Amino acid sequence: MAFRNVNRRRHIGLQQLSSLASIGRTLLGPVKSYKFIVDESTNESVLTCSAVRLLESLDLTSAVGQLLNETIQAQNKEYKTGMTTQLFLIGVWSSAVLECLQQNVPFSLIVSVMSEGLNSCSEKVQCLQLSVHDLYKGPDSVPIHFSSSSLGPQIIENKTPGIGANSFLNPFVHILKEVPVSKEESVPEGLHSHQASPCDLHNRCLNSHLCPTDYITPSLVELVGNKTMPAVPGSSLIASSYTKRTRLTHSRYFNTPGKKHCSLQVDSFGGPPTGPVACPYEFNDFEQLAMALSHGNQSSMKLVQDIVRCQQQVADHTGSSQFNIAEVVTCCLPGLSEHYSCVCPGYITLVSPEKATVTKQLQDRPLQILLVDGDLTEKYRHLGFNRPSNVRTISENVGLQESSSESLWINCVLDILIQAKVNLVLVKGNVCESLMERCILNNILIINPVTLNVLHAFGKGTGVQLVTYLSQVNSHCMGSSVWVDFWRTGDLSTMELDNKVPIRIKAEGIHLVTAVLSSTVTSKMQVTEDQFWTCAYRLHHALTDQKVFPGGGAVELLCLSHLKTLEEQSLKQPDKKPSGDFYMSSCWLTKSLTQYKPVVLKALASGWHQYLSRVMCNTAHYASEFEASTSIEHHLKKAADCGSPSAYILKEFNKGDKVMGEFGLSAKPQEAVKIYDNVTPKVEAWRRALDLVLLVLQTDAEIITGPNRNQLLNSHVSSEFIFL
Amino acid sequence: MSRTEAKKPSLCTNDPLTKERVSFSLSVLSGIVKSCYGPTGRLKQLHNGMGGYVRTTSQSSALLGGLSITHPVLKVLTASVQNHISRFSDCGLFTAILCCSLVENFQRINFAACTVTKISRHLLSLCTDYLKSEACGCRISVDFDNIKTLLSLVHSILASKPACMLNKTEANHLSTLVLRAFLLTIPHTIETNVVLGTCVIVPVKDKRVMDSTVFPGLLIEIPEFQLARTFPVKRVSSSTIKMALFCISMSGDLSNTGEGTVIVHHGISLEVAVLDQLLNLGKQLVNDQVGLVVCQKVIHPSLKQYLKEHHVITIDRVGVSMMEPLSKMTGSQPIAALHSVSPTCYGSLKDLRTESFVSKHFLHLIPNDTLVCSLILCNRSEMAWDELKLACQTAEHVLQLTIKQPLALLGGGCTETHLASYIRHKSFTLPTNVLKAIDCSRTQYQLVADAFCRSLECVACCLEHDDGEILTDMVYGHSWSIQSGFPCDCNWSDLVLKCGCGIYNNQQNLNWTVLRSQCIPFAPQSCSNEPSINSTDHLILDCFTAKYSGLQVAVETANLILDLSYIVEDQN
Repeated sequence: MAFRNVNRRRHIGLQQLSSLASIGRTLLGPVKSYKFIVDESTNESVLTCSAVRLLESLDLTSAVGQLLNETIQAQNKEYKTGMTTQLFLIGVWSSAVLECLQQNVPFSLIVSVMSEGLNSCSEKVQCLQLSVHDLYKGPDSVPIHFSSSSLGPQIIENKTPGIGANSFLNPFVHILKEVPVSKEESVPEGLHSHQASPCDLHNRCLNSHLCPTDYITPSLVELVGNKTMPAVPGSSLIASSYTKRTRLTHSRYFNTPGKKHCSLQVDSFGGPPTGPVACPYEFNDFEQLAMALSHGNQSSMKLVQDIVRCQQQVADHTGSSQFNIAEVVTCCLPGLSEHYSCVCPGYITLVSPEKATVTKQLQDRPLQILLVDGDLTEKYRHLGFNRPSNVRTISENVGLQESSSESLWINCVLDILIQAKVNLVLVKGNVCESLMERCILNNILIINPVTLNVLHAFGKGTGVQLVTYLSQVNSHCMGSSVWVDFWRTGDLSTMELDNKVPIRIKAEGIHLVTAVLSSTVTSKMQVTEDQFWTCAYRLHHALTDQKVFPGGGAVELLCLSHLKTLEEQSLKQPDKKPSGDFYMSSCWLTKSLTQYKPVVLKALASGWHQYLSRVMCNTAHYASEFEASTSIEHHLKKAADCGSPSAYILKEFNKGDKVMGEFGLSAKPQEAVKIYDNVTPKVEAWRRALDLVLLVLQTDAEIITGPNRNQLLNSHVSSEFIFL
Repeated sequence: MSRTEAKKPSLCTNDPLTKERVSFSLSVLSGIVKSCYGPTGRLKQLHNGMGGYVRTTSQSSALLGGLSITHPVLKVLTASVQNHISRFSDCGLFTAILCCSLVENFQRINFAACTVTKISRHLLSLCTDYLKSEACGCRISVDFDNIKTLLSLVHSILASKPACMLNKTEANHLSTLVLRAFLLTIPHTIETNVVLGTCVIVPVKDKRVMDSTVFPGLLIEIPEFQLARTFPVKRVSSSTIKMALFCISMSGDLSNTGEGTVIVHHGISLEVAVLDQLLNLGKQLVNDQVGLVVCQKVIHPSLKQYLKEHHVITIDRVGVSMMEPLSKMTGSQPIAALHSVSPTCYGSLKDLRTESFVSKHFLHLIPNDTLVCSLILCNRSEMAWDELKLACQTAEHVLQLTIKQPLALLGGGCTETHLASYIRHKSFTLPTNVLKAIDCSRTQYQLVADAFCRSLECVACCLEHDDGEILTDMVYGHSWSIQSGFPCDCNWSDLVLKCGCGIYNNQQNLNWTVLRSQCIPFAPQSCSNEPSINSTDHLILDCFTAKYSGLQVAVETANLILDLSYIVEDQN
């Protein structure tokens, strides 16, 4: 056993923590710098711009590194957002604590004052919370219908100037040149129709080429040239209706009012105008909430909005309503340009060409589905099944061969599938190769691996029970009314997708929505997917919390001003008996609290101060951190002069040209889009960051148990260890 | 054929304590335990140096369990302390620190081991007699009608584990929860044999501490998708659900094939045979109107499917720790066979519900009498959760010990300094016939007593980790902390605030002195029924039973270590 004192002179643990966390500094804020992580031994490299992926790719074998990684992963597991903030704060707070230590502040005092200071700030910032309910009228108001033809493009332009003006950033704008607004666009209309059941909807998708309104107008055909979009069977790209509109509004092809109107008729109002007319203000409200939570990832957030619309559409039939993130999956198409990204109800996955042939056979008719939550191999047994090692099978017939048991099994499985008339099997785990081949020959489509939440979504939608073995199959385990078709956007060739074909599986009553994500740069695929999930979770948390913070530093600014107030209080009344806020275990510490409290509170504040100035720098509106810092001081002073800092901050936030406005990407102040932050994930990220710093601060020794004593003895740090 | 090898001779070391390596190792161990003590104790990172789980802790049970100690002398020490912990949960560090300082201080006076042993035994008996007597000035009686003392007791335990990462609000919240959970395990009617119920800790990691809560009955976590499909429950009557509890694997494997080889003819499948047996069992359960089947291990998916189709709820993989409370709560006998299940084994439940809580889903088993409760324990990280769980278990155990012996000792170092003052006073006034009886001179006795008292005071000093200094007052013998670096002649009353246990505030007449300085022995006064008692804040209290035993274990172990003359090691 080896023992190392990590606390000598300057605190080694905190130094490690501060240097490890400092690598994440450039990842803060809406404008991120990508990082390449190269493994020198294999020459493999990873492109990353998130704290989680960064730490995942690093070799963090030291105890402190592991604790850091665990902390970030825990936040990721729980909230999927706030990790970069957390990493940054861990870094700056550990340096701030190191500085306190240099000024001989007792350890326990740092722990108490910082922990209670953060607590006090977390309570203080509650006054800034904005109720989501006030921002928009609940998920029911998510606008689905744009059936009012009076809602012309000009009106939209006026209602959402910020988004409109920003839309040049939107990749969808470019779609217009290549992918025409075609009959695919009719699918969202189908979706958005209250009268259409999912089944109808599906039929609409499949038979959309029969629908006269789906034909594109001649003007658009010119646009596409000779591409025969309607010939692509069942393709259904659901782009955001909003996006679509923006696109139309700003396309140079639609600058003649007559034509514009015509195309809009075809595109968006092709279906019969059913259902209530959505109020444009509500639309704006939800749009604003989502966009305000996008933090610069507008395109990802647009996809998330579309998912909410899709789920809302299904929910209208089933009665449940809320953004259900458990029923969202992603399908990545690396190598394709971003404009293929879209949202589609049902499950989209990539399959091999052989399976695509089966798909071709199976499309256009209802299928029998089977859901398997294990492997489809002979040897597979459920978890907890222990194979006895001492059982031997003997045979009296000489002719039987070893391999026969597998072929027997395959025959048996195939019999079950054929007799039950199953056409589609979703399998969680592996599938035996030869079984797969036999199934393809028999026109049975096996999809694997499928995640458990997809299986459960199908199970929930169709009422099918999951099975582990095919021997369990009975009438409860099979569902009908499932359809499969190709998911294509016309000009997409299988070559582009590494020889794979995207197919779509849909079922009646299923809430599952797939976000198809694509990225021209293959190595950016992971980043794109992460960004999508971050946006999805931000909206999810905002809807679960039912409250948001004003973003862009408003909350941090209030913390700074609050800490300043606390600091001044402790300086003004040094003789006053310490308030109950500060929890002291030792009595003399309580006495000397007044002496050190301002120093520690300053250290806590420096964390947020550096956070703010770093974000402001990263948005490129400030040339240096110094400049940013001056601006923060300016705001702090004004907030203090104002009397009520929270009122000042809210006022500035509502004006939209605060520190905040500088976080947004809008070029002109009047185009500033409001930015919101999540409440619980943010406050938790702070707390967890501080907890880690204080934990490491209070640790004075590392005890290494285990067999590698000699390795340690020979290492360069062996002198630091005591061997027992 | 077996191969024989010549045996190596055993290694014999005489006077092990005089060896430099032993005293060095002992001082390192002593340093580790001393630095962990108390609410401001420093934490230790325990890991295997190869990327394994990093456990940050300051609790004796995790610490000593994690150390791999090879030297026999150290092993004697840690084994005694661990044994104490397994019996009382609390006061492990106290025992270890006291034992280490006793060894150090007794070594310094350099008497024959037998003399030291005799005198220290006598001193120990003085201590234990005093602690047990009504006159004891450092204990208070715990009134179970008043929740405040009990809360203080629990709070002191939770607050002294800094690696739990609790702030003030969270510590208060959890103290209340632990106490509430404990109260739920006390039977409503008191018979001659009182059997306390069980509190099951349900782990919910990565959540906020404030989300923790207590439910009467048992909560078993189930996956979300199972939630929608569990109901309606099959009931025998409106308030009875029959339940079967299995403690063997129902996964359909052949677990006990024994030694040797089982030969099976081709075409016969043992698996199918076992599955048939399982399905027969399922049929019997359905016929017997069982509504809930709980299995410690895995249930075969086919059996699960069969039972589900017959509206029987199944829960598998509940783990061994749940078996005892489940069986106790429902009156069911754990079934260990797959055939001929006797209907007498079945238990019953009052109700079965589902609870969704911090985005997790649970089946809530509600028994007829709620002597079982579930403490849903949340903390933000795995490591902090482990630490908190240990602390809560300790607190629960301490409450159980306290209900048996409703006494508590003053914490924060006050008991130690008080006891030291008492012993100093006693050793000065010891009658000569007692000295004769233990066959030693008064000087010898006083030197050993002084070493003994210094060891006790050392424990109080170990509570201070930020360069503070400990004073003691000449009236009650309590411990008071001040910032270090003040001259001895300054007015202490300007510096002190309140005593370690929090019972006394600063009063002018208390006449402080620096601990470990020579002073005239005095008989410390009792704390009870004093008007000056601070009744607003939480007191710091320690478990009487655990500390009482810790004191004995520490003295006996120190005597044993001092008495070691030879270590004989078998080197084979």
